[in-house]
Amino acid sequence: MSATVVKGLDKNGRRINSMEFESMVQAAAETSNAIQIESMGQHNIGIRLQHTDGLTIEVKGPTGQRLGCMGMPGTRITCKGAASDDVGYLNIGAEITVLGDATNGVCNAMANGKVFIAGSIGARGLTMTKWNPDYEKPELWVLGSTGDSFAEFNCGGVAVICGINAKNSDNVLGYRPCVGMVGGTIFYRGKTDGSYSKNNARLAAPTDEQWHWLEANMPAYLTNIKREELQSTLLVREEWQVLNAVSPQERALMFSGPMTMAEFRNKHWNQAFGGGDPLRDLAPGLDRSPIGVIPTDNLRRKKPFWANRESAAPCTYYCPVHIPTVDRLRLIREGQIDEAYEMLLRYSPLPASICGSVCPNLCMENCSRQEVDDSIEVQVLGRAVAGAKSPEVAPSLGKKVAIIGGGPAGMNAAWQLAHSGVEAHIFEKDTFIGGKLAQVIPWERLSQAIWDQEIKRFLETPHIHINLGVDMDKETFEKLKEDFDYVIVAVGTHEPRKIPFPGHESVIPALDFLKKAKSDNPEKVGKEVVIIGAGNVGCDVACEAYRLGAEKVTLVDIQKPLAFGKEKEAAEALGAEFRWPVMTKEVTSEGLVMDTGEVIPAQTVIISIGDVPKLQFLPDSVETLTVGGAAWMKTDDAHLTTDPKVLAIGDVEKPGLATNALGAGKTAAEYIVSQFKNEKWQPFTKKVITQQALTITHYTPETEHEHSQENSADRCLSCASCRDCHLCETICPEGAITRRELEISHRNGYETGLGASYEYVSDDKKCIACGFCADTCPCGIWTMQPF
Amino acid sequence: MVSARSLSVGPGSLSYTDLPWIIQHREDRCTLCGHCTSVCPKEAIYLAYRRQRIPKLDVLKKKRGNEYRTFVGIRQKKNMANACIGCSMCSMVCPNEAIQPVPNTNEHRTLFFNNQKGEPNKRGGRRNKVGPTLLDRIMFNRISMLTDPALDAGRHEFNVTTTLGRTLDPAEFLKRTHEGGWIPPTREIFPFVIGSMSFGALSPNMWLGLLQGVAYCNEVLGIPVVMCTGEGGCPPWVLKSPYLKYIVLQIASGYFGWDEIIRAIPDMQCDPAAIEIKYGQGAKPGDGGLLMWFKVSKLIARLRGVPEGVDLPSPPVHQTLYSIEESVMKMIQTLSTAFSHKVPIYPKISASTSAKSVLNNLVRNPYAGGLLIDGIDGGTGAAYNVSMDATGHPIASNVRECYLDLVAQGKQNEIPIYAAGGVGKNGNVTQNGLALIMLGASGVHIGKYVMQSVAGCLGNEKNRCNVCNVGICPKGITSQNPKLYRRLDPDLVAERVGEVFMSIHTEMKKIMAPLGRSQSLPVGMSDALGIADKDAADRLNIKYVC
Repeated sequence: MSATVVKGLDKNGRRINSMEFESMVQAAAETSNAIQIESMGQHNIGIRLQHTDGLTIEVKGPTGQRLGCMGMPGTRITCKGAASDDVGYLNIGAEITVLGDATNGVCNAMANGKVFIAGSIGARGLTMTKWNPDYEKPELWVLGSTGDSFAEFNCGGVAVICGINAKNSDNVLGYRPCVGMVGGTIFYRGKTDGSYSKNNARLAAPTDEQWHWLEANMPAYLTNIKREELQSTLLVREEWQVLNAVSPQERALMFSGPMTMAEFRNKHWNQAFGGGDPLRDLAPGLDRSPIGVIPTDNLRRKKPFWANRESAAPCTYYCPVHIPTVDRLRLIREGQIDEAYEMLLRYSPLPASICGSVCPNLCMENCSRQEVDDSIEVQVLGRAVAGAKSPEVAPSLGKKVAIIGGGPAGMNAAWQLAHSGVEAHIFEKDTFIGGKLAQVIPWERLSQAIWDQEIKRFLETPHIHINLGVDMDKETFEKLKEDFDYVIVAVGTHEPRKIPFPGHESVIPALDFLKKAKSDNPEKVGKEVVIIGAGNVGCDVACEAYRLGAEKVTLVDIQKPLAFGKEKEAAEALGAEFRWPVMTKEVTSEGLVMDTGEVIPAQTVIISIGDVPKLQFLPDSVETLTVGGAAWMKTDDAHLTTDPKVLAIGDVEKPGLATNALGAGKTAAEYIVSQFKNEKWQPFTKKVITQQALTITHYTPETEHEHSQENSADRCLSCASCRDCHLCETICPEGAITRRELEISHRNGYETGLGASYEYVSDDKKCIACGFCADTCPCGIWTMQPF
Repeated sequence: MVSARSLSVGPGSLSYTDLPWIIQHREDRCTLCGHCTSVCPKEAIYLAYRRQRIPKLDVLKKKRGNEYRTFVGIRQKKNMANACIGCSMCSMVCPNEAIQPVPNTNEHRTLFFNNQKGEPNKRGGRRNKVGPTLLDRIMFNRISMLTDPALDAGRHEFNVTTTLGRTLDPAEFLKRTHEGGWIPPTREIFPFVIGSMSFGALSPNMWLGLLQGVAYCNEVLGIPVVMCTGEGGCPPWVLKSPYLKYIVLQIASGYFGWDEIIRAIPDMQCDPAAIEIKYGQGAKPGDGGLLMWFKVSKLIARLRGVPEGVDLPSPPVHQTLYSIEESVMKMIQTLSTAFSHKVPIYPKISASTSAKSVLNNLVRNPYAGGLLIDGIDGGTGAAYNVSMDATGHPIASNVRECYLDLVAQGKQNEIPIYAAGGVGKNGNVTQNGLALIMLGASGVHIGKYVMQSVAGCLGNEKNRCNVCNVGICPKGITSQNPKLYRRLDPDLVAERVGEVFMSIHTEMKKIMAPLGRSQSLPVGMSDALGIADKDAADRLNIKYVC
């Protein structure tokens, strides 16, 4: 078959457009496998042309862009001169030879085939090439040099850049080749500016395999471009270098950073500060090294503290005598019954009469057990001690104290002093001791048998001396001050308050009424009784009035009655009526006349609005305070008055419960004893434990239970006092808590109940300060302390 | 008589569902390891024992009664002082995924009780406003495709630095160069600056970790990042180190740490990058710094020259200043002189309708090296909530009007405006920054984003965590307690600084390339901006697109 010639100019010498020209070439290729093209700038010459026997295309004259575009396998295109842009664009197999230079974009997106350039090429050669593994890699051979941005995103192309007559002999690969190159190989010979993309290409000498490939393929290239004479010049291995694509795996390693931070710190950072921490001058020895978030030991922000008995149980705290009921119950739990009784008697001479009978039991008003079911039954505990023996008294200190008044305040002062070895001399105006407890509290509320038992125990106590029927005046008082080391005033309130409304002369003061009621010849009462003042004393009066024959008792008050507890319940049970607000206008033979004019019929009217002290015997050195028209004694926390030898306790300070009087007596006695012993006086300062500190959900409510001291002991929550349950040891996730026996030799008897013979400790080396011990402890012993 | 220990409900009593964060604890998964309660910064959670009552009826035996079951779980405290802050450290340390705080989506009543003892709510963080910011909504929509040469972020070379300091107009520059006159100092820096966070507001490990990362960016990665000290001084060894050149020293109304800075001047190996004079802060405009006593440790006290454990409020204004003119003259001149007129000096103000007045004074001041404007979305370590949430001016329109004012005077290439306040609030740090740059800023300062991205700050705009002010930062970023700040490894912070700035660097190119810009930062290139909000478009003088 002979060559078919296709001309780019028509018979009139005008350029044929690319569209028409391409159809001419295509028609030629159908009939001939050798085509000679005399082009005149037509584009896309050779596009998708193929012939079963192979196709040869020779191009003479100026080519347009994209010579050999989409070239097919078996097609050989030879351009006799220079070529324009994009030679071999999207070539998939054609062999294209350019016998001059080619401009930009040579081999762009080529996937297979070969392009041989006899000169140099422009910018962006061999970019975006592809390589399908089922086919050979595309090849670009350049005799001279490349322009800038060579082999960008090269994927499969193999380039051979020979550096003969390079356009720029200092840089045969142009500026920044290989950016984004992910595959392929670039052989080159000659100098470069080293600007190739280091992230994408790695410079190396040709391997043996690469060199053999180059040696093997060079002759064909040189033959194609008709420069066989260069064979020996070009095949000097030492002159060749290769840029290999960097694999993603290699690149990932490179991206771990040009320098590790540890290296940077050691080589640069530390050096910049003279070889040490930049804060070493400001904070010598400061350790800033990294730590974890769950540290132990000194890196914790809190640590547990076993605060056994550091705070007070509510029973102890709210009791005016601060009787540690919680400890008493522990002693009972531990079977130390005698010690439990002794402990109680160390606080009060009248536990059965007061704790067990008349006290409203502030301890149990606040008992934590109420949050589970019911409070502990402290009255049972108090009465149990009625027949118990007095603790031994201490040997005499050779001191003596005068106590004016033998009521509960004076009695406890004497009791405490006596047990500490101080002679206590009581001077009582009445013919018996006990104060109002004995004089006015009805026997219904305070059993005479119990009372007599406790009075007997009191009177039999060594160091206690009783003087009855003593009237106090200034002279006697001065004498007592001279004869005794201290004088304690405990005379209570025995002057009834009155209101001067018309007819007040016929009104009986409650104090007188109750005293008489308890005596052998009680006052007669009418069928209808009105009591002015509806407090607890008024309720006692009401009960006694019923006992003495009244049929209807009315308690009136100007405000909501203050009566509460057992007294009020007793009065109500007997049928007493409470009326308020009632303002008394006058009292007549008809009864009480209200300011509204209404008459409450009564044959007997009793007034119960309180009593005030009678302090006419006090010297000027003892100051008093006038409140509500009456003078009261002014004292400090130790019950000391303005006279350093005189103390005052009980109702003379301010009206209170019998228990308040007992507490005051104990405190005053402790103060005096501390002075005798030259010790610092320690008031009760413990804080009450909060309900939140306890974990009461460990306890199961019992709706029915027996009323015994053993049962109370079992039910006690042991607030603020370790019950040795080991639960902290159990919950601790780190196994940091252990129990340790303590060696205690100096305690015996009830005193062991005041402390513990063991302790729980937390190992700082293990503890992570989670606070579970504190959250778990039923008794509120473990606390978390910041440090 | 009412027991002193009876329960009562008062005005401030809160229930479980009144709390802002609700602890969800799965008892079936809990192993009672104690990690959650150990790590909780607020002591908000505890091991709770609960009792369940099950009434039982045994009909045949004619018996009835109750059975009880005690069970344990982690519960949260309901008082304000221990209310959960949602930091999620408990979830972080739980080995069994048994615990997590969930935000209370109902109204939570602690909002009405966070003013205990008459003290209004103070916190760290920034304006509690969620959702896309205006900056998030700006689009870059002038894309170069066929109309002009397209650029490829991965392939082309970019110059993304910006100028800090005053640039003379060309005629003046040539004249002074010729005559040997003073040329104002400038720096070529990366346009994302680590904004002023003081040594004190930040823990030592955080502050030094940041500096280590900044040094790494400069010396290893070749990204010229600078950071500002904030108002807390700078450790003397750092002042005397070669890294001082990456540091903008801040002077503010409290003057903390300046004695050490002045003392170190003779020993400085290089000049600082710049001096920032703080007049205001976007998060709490018109209010001074507030380092609360919890954070004034021995170290901080030593560096700042103050007693340990005292509150360190900075006054709202510098006390020796009386007017704009005076303040600009006096402060800038003193500081420029201190560094021999070789260091750019610029003021930082809070965004405000009065910002233009300040800017115009700076234009007339030959020593002024720029202006930093901080918007309402800026963060802080401690401020009153009301200052943070309601006081201030958004940054975008403020920067825009200042820039356009410079344009009107033909000075836009002479004095750079820097912007701050909410850049990266929703994570879009580069987008936000370049939006501000195209509105006219020469660069932006970022603070909260840095804390979040390099150190894992847990704070957000739903009031999560935000306890920077009281020094109990669970990540150790803003605490001065070594037991907390040692949780933070400075090397890891520094590594993250490197990663973050490499990434911003790439994202900048990804934004600039489509705009056809590679060789200069597109400062003021507002023709590239659009927003689907007509009012915002009008106000910012950019295109409305929809």
